[in-house]
Amino acid sequence: MNEDVRVLALREIMDRPEGWGRAQGREVYQRLLGSVEENTGTLVFKISMKDVKRVDISFASETVVEIARRYRGSKGFCLIDLTDPDLIENWDAAAARKGQPLLVWEGRTGRLIGAEPTQGCREAFQFALRHPTVRAAEFAESKSDMTIANASMKFKQLWEQGFLLRRESAANSGGVEFVYQRVG
Amino acid sequence: MTFEVPSGCKIMVEAAIRFLSLANQLAATTRRVRMKFEEGDTGTMGYLNRMGFFDHLAPEVEVFPSRPGYSAAEAHRGGNAALVEIARISKDERDEDLPTRLTAALMRSCHTRADAAELEGAAWTIFAELIDNVFSHSSTLLDGYAALQVYPKGDRLSVAVSDSGLGIMQTLRPTIGNEFPRLTGLSDTQLLVEIFRQGLSRHGPDRGCGLKGSAAKAIKFQAVLDVRLPRQRVVLLPARGAYKVNTADCYDGLPLMWGTHIGFGFKLGG
Repeated sequence: MNEDVRVLALREIMDRPEGWGRAQGREVYQRLLGSVEENTGTLVFKISMKDVKRVDISFASETVVEIARRYRGSKGFCLIDLTDPDLIENWDAAAARKGQPLLVWEGRTGRLIGAEPTQGCREAFQFALRHPTVRAAEFAESKSDMTIANASMKFKQLWEQGFLLRRESAANSGGVEFVYQRVG
Repeated sequence: MTFEVPSGCKIMVEAAIRFLSLANQLAATTRRVRMKFEEGDTGTMGYLNRMGFFDHLAPEVEVFPSRPGYSAAEAHRGGNAALVEIARISKDERDEDLPTRLTAALMRSCHTRADAAELEGAAWTIFAELIDNVFSHSSTLLDGYAALQVYPKGDRLSVAVSDSGLGIMQTLRPTIGNEFPRLTGLSDTQLLVEIFRQGLSRHGPDRGCGLKGSAAKAIKFQAVLDVRLPRQRVVLLPARGAYKVNTADCYDGLPLMWGTHIGFGFKLGG
């Protein structure tokens, strides 16, 4: 099925409301992988934490963080229905450990946890976070001292590191340009 | 080998599960082990019985004046909010609800605290990570144990997990050269601090976040971290929100006790 964004409820593939330990995490990872493979056309998976009472850092590391890392650059994974600071702290620790950025969405506000963009790319990331899709030219236009080539380089880096997704699009000039997309 | 427990001797919960692990290790290696409780079951023995100590003690260990006739832990199960029975960590019967059950027991006496939610989250994560570590790393046939106690005034909490495996340093040391070459020159104490500060694992730089994350939660409660290794004990004291080598107390050359025995002593203000 071809659908750009899909919500996956983590609780539905967990055996109980609490997830802990590497062994449990690996089992849930396999189920998560199965769901992702069933939806080959989906670009963004919003992983819902609804009814997930707790997860420890090891479980977080083996499940969503691992799958986000595996599909880095081709598919995006973000977290929704997550407000408990203690849980957010565990997801953050697990994602940071694997150098994986993760967005936690609360309504229309996205909060970045895990890996952080380099200082040089921070502004480009914030710009991309404010828009559903962005082109390097748009970011370059928004700043007086930024060339398109420089903006392209920053977005490319953010894409490679898992902060953004991208797809090819026809440029006004007739060539190909990349359209970058935030995760979620 | 004889252990004598004199009158008036108080055994803290983390010491109780270390004592249990040690006695079972000795019994498993065919040593004759005796425990003598001077006060009989009115003293420390009664306290240990209530915790379930004798339910887990290897049957070959001789107890004087005599093993308790019944398990006080079974009789009182759930009745004492401040003291929890010792929970067994068995690889063969992985108890998936154990961190939740231990945390629920803790919250029976701490649910009215202003920081109850934060304490609950911290305790659950610490139990989950430490117990999972026993499953993942300890390589032993002997059971591990977990226990907690809120002390009567409600201002202190001890969380302890003990296993009889190889010991965290024995499993990490051989891989340090490959995985973390910059750390090869560190002493055991320095390395132990780094295990809790940076997170180090024999499985490489992606791993090791469990102990680091547990320490990060515990330090918010100014917890003292007490780790007994086969020949050493290191007590890490929090200093400005971190565990540091220069505020650690180290004891070397201790009697051999296999495994990794971790205790967090929380300070619960108010």
